[in-house]
Amino acid sequence: MKQAVILAAGEGQRLRPFTLNRPKAMLSIADKPILQYIIEALAQNGIRNIVLTVGYRKEQVYDYFGSGERCGVNITYVTQVPQLGTAHALWQARDCVDDEFLVLSGDNLIEAPTIAAFVQVKPSGLLVKRVENPNRYGVVNIEGGEVRDIAEKPAEAKSNLVNTGIYAFTKDVFKFMEDVLDIPDALNNMLAADQPITARETDGTWLDVVYPWDIISLNEAVLKNIGVSLGGTIETGVSLRGNVVVGADSIVRSGSCIYGPVVIGSGCDIGPQVCIMPATSIGDNVTLSPFSEIRNSVIGDDVAIGPGSIVSDSVIDKGCVLKGRFTALGGPSEVRVNGESPTLNVGVIMGEECQVDGNVTAQPGVIIGNYCQVQMMKTLSGRIPDRSLVY
Amino acid sequence: MCGIIGYIGSKKAQPILLNCLSKLEYRGYDSCGIAVMSSGIEVYKDAVRVKVLSKAAPELDGTIGIGHTRWATHGEPSRQNAHPHCDCTGRIAVVHNGTITNFHKLREQLAAEGHILASQTDTEVLPHLIEKYYDGDFARAVELVLEEVEGAYTMIAMMTGEPRLVAARKDSPLIIGIGDRENYIASDVPALLDYTSRVIYLEDGDIAVVTADDISLKNAGAPITREEHKILWSVEDAQKGGYEHFMLKEIHEQPKVIRDTLAEYLSQYISSAKKAADLTRGGGLEDVLILASGTSYHAGLVGKYIIEGLLKVPVRVELASEYIYSGQASARNKAIVITQSGETLDALKAIKRLKEAGSRVIALTNVVGSTASRVADETVYTRAGPEISVAATKTFIAQLIALYWMAVPYARADVRRPGDLVLELRQLPGKVQQILDNQTVIAEMARQIEKFDHVFYVGRGISYPVALEGALKLKEISYIHAEGYASGELKHGPYALLGSQSPVVAVVTQDNTYEATTTSIKEIKARKSPVLAVVGEGDETMADLADSVVTVPHTDPLFSPVVNVIVLQLLAYYAAKERGCPIDFPRNLAKTLTVE
Repeated sequence: MKQAVILAAGEGQRLRPFTLNRPKAMLSIADKPILQYIIEALAQNGIRNIVLTVGYRKEQVYDYFGSGERCGVNITYVTQVPQLGTAHALWQARDCVDDEFLVLSGDNLIEAPTIAAFVQVKPSGLLVKRVENPNRYGVVNIEGGEVRDIAEKPAEAKSNLVNTGIYAFTKDVFKFMEDVLDIPDALNNMLAADQPITARETDGTWLDVVYPWDIISLNEAVLKNIGVSLGGTIETGVSLRGNVVVGADSIVRSGSCIYGPVVIGSGCDIGPQVCIMPATSIGDNVTLSPFSEIRNSVIGDDVAIGPGSIVSDSVIDKGCVLKGRFTALGGPSEVRVNGESPTLNVGVIMGEECQVDGNVTAQPGVIIGNYCQVQMMKTLSGRIPDRSLVY
Repeated sequence: MCGIIGYIGSKKAQPILLNCLSKLEYRGYDSCGIAVMSSGIEVYKDAVRVKVLSKAAPELDGTIGIGHTRWATHGEPSRQNAHPHCDCTGRIAVVHNGTITNFHKLREQLAAEGHILASQTDTEVLPHLIEKYYDGDFARAVELVLEEVEGAYTMIAMMTGEPRLVAARKDSPLIIGIGDRENYIASDVPALLDYTSRVIYLEDGDIAVVTADDISLKNAGAPITREEHKILWSVEDAQKGGYEHFMLKEIHEQPKVIRDTLAEYLSQYISSAKKAADLTRGGGLEDVLILASGTSYHAGLVGKYIIEGLLKVPVRVELASEYIYSGQASARNKAIVITQSGETLDALKAIKRLKEAGSRVIALTNVVGSTASRVADETVYTRAGPEISVAATKTFIAQLIALYWMAVPYARADVRRPGDLVLELRQLPGKVQQILDNQTVIAEMARQIEKFDHVFYVGRGISYPVALEGALKLKEISYIHAEGYASGELKHGPYALLGSQSPVVAVVTQDNTYEATTTSIKEIKARKSPVLAVVGEGDETMADLADSVVTVPHTDPLFSPVVNVIVLQLLAYYAAKERGCPIDFPRNLAKTLTVE
């Protein structure tokens, strides 16, 4: 297997505000887009010929990956407009594929071991994974190592094995795709025609982001595996503990504490006297001003956080400017999703390019849209739509 | 980044190598070279672009050869440092892409063993090591060398009397192109698309021995095979990473260019290792002279407003091509010469004249080690990377950022607080990205102007040079006649040309020029010209006044050129696209002008 098609055209509606300007595959986890984890996992398994199907906000993918230089792969792009389904996405790539190829979803974060055994499988093949709550996935019924059927989001799951969206195909797959929009339907067509599909189970990483707050737990999970690498300038009097990554041309000023796992991008200006606590990712060109504490959070590129701020269990997207004394303490909060109200520990979820004046407090679980402006001394709660002015 | 190429077969190698190298110029173009083998190996290389090398190179005979094109990030481009590199005897030649991390140690060892290394590069240890290990088996010698080398070493080697090329891949890409009784090796697919569509992708650790009709591969000492792939894409797709044109790709690179350039200047500034051109250094800054041509001249004009505004010293901006005939210089001057390539003849002549007058000269250029940087007293580099599109976009933005950095940290305390300005500068990448994310409205505006034969661009104050740059972009790529004017100057003549068939693009800044600009636009409207305005967020007045508006994110008026010019670049791009123009390579224009 020398080639892979990654389906990265999807929008990720449920991940608003973060998917207004980027496809789901470009969400940043531990300072890298999800898509990069997938491409790196493929490259480490010797697959360097990558076809990317892109659609929604495809320029973000072009700008980040270019022709694949960053990951040492060759990328060919095909566009899927509109985005009708996974089979429709794969169909767009039919002129670019080899006789045998892998298909992966650009939305699920994987690592090299996840697919290490699967790349050897003779097509057709399907990679499955055991999960606790299979009902929101495609549940795969397996007999003798072969797929029997796939049931999409069944009310009652027959097994705990779910479809990872990772497949091995030959070009013949296109014969079963004429009348379907999603790949599982094509698989069911293949089964109906007595075409065997090998099922392989993986116990490797396979992580899904469904809602914006999932980014926080996913970030924490991925950060567990980072190493230590210190670029830029670390002034004397900085306390470093655990695994910390600091990018090139960043400066961490005196009196700051960084307790890993923490990853900091390049060109950041941090401190003096800033505390960055475990499970925090900070993008490029970020400014963190004195006497602030960031904990278990994801901070996007170009963000500036003013003096005396506290940010916990939060995601702050790129370009936000928090003038100072911003507080998002985090804590148990009830979020309402699809009729359910799970209690989660969330601080603030903030879309890109927000301008927040001094002394603003965000109650746990508040979701702020993109391009919002908040005047000083406000307390934020609930959901605030894009381009709101809070005064 | 560098590009490498190899050919072995029955055709003359030289023209093939040069053509392939020209396709790899997107990977770098500050120096290049080829080596061709007949009875012995002949090398021709220089710190010039492939096109120049092609003209200057003597005809080399031979059907086996290698080539290289380079983009220096450390160490200057020079003939000596250009690839291919040879061993002591001149019998072995190597091209290489990557950095050998243990080359200091290897150099010392080689020198101690009596090898004479001619260049400063890490690459040169490779041919000398091959020479050391060669005992009749060329491929084996390369294998032994690679066992000793640490770091990234994607390379191709050839040797007199050996009818084969030996290539290896580590960290940087390498492919083999399969031809009919001939084979190719290249960094990337685009180089080969004129010759073959059958390729093999090498993996890390692979060593390939390639002859005219055979390819044998090894990894970790064991023979292996790698699958052949058929390439279905065109040359153009490959290099443009998804985009239709280099210009659009480069426009989209601008947030990253701003981030990278600022990161580097900030880190230099903080670590005080080497302050990126502090204009005030040495004290007694009395006046500044900026010389440039074309788009760089417009950057220089913005520089005038920046430096005069923040440092309160008079700034003169002149066209390099005019200055060399009549300009006055003195030892009092601090001069900034802006040249993207560092090779523009007018700029180089201007530097010479300034030096003769005793002025201190700072060169502002995108090409490390270019001639301008060698003759100037100091050099400030923009970090825009190679720019392929003839119409400059990202290098202009990088020049602006450099000019801001020359003044912002040293702003007079009674004028502005440097800290606030630095913070505002660091927000620019996000603001530029916002414009890119919402460019459909600009494409729409372009459809309105593409049908006209004449377009005026107007601006006042710091937006005046932005108007000039917008007009230049439109004329050079869409071939629509466009003129940039200071808003206040239209009434001195151009009014005669206004009418329903001559739209006006107005760049409106919310600063002390706003009212005067509003008045100008009302006057233009009175003469029936359609007005398209680029305005700041929340500008309701202009939305009512103009026929259509593009809104840009709010920033300090001092930094408004950065956001406003992005709109005008995209406007020119989409207008040219509507008209079906060859956007990246407009007629009659060249990227670097080494003629007067």
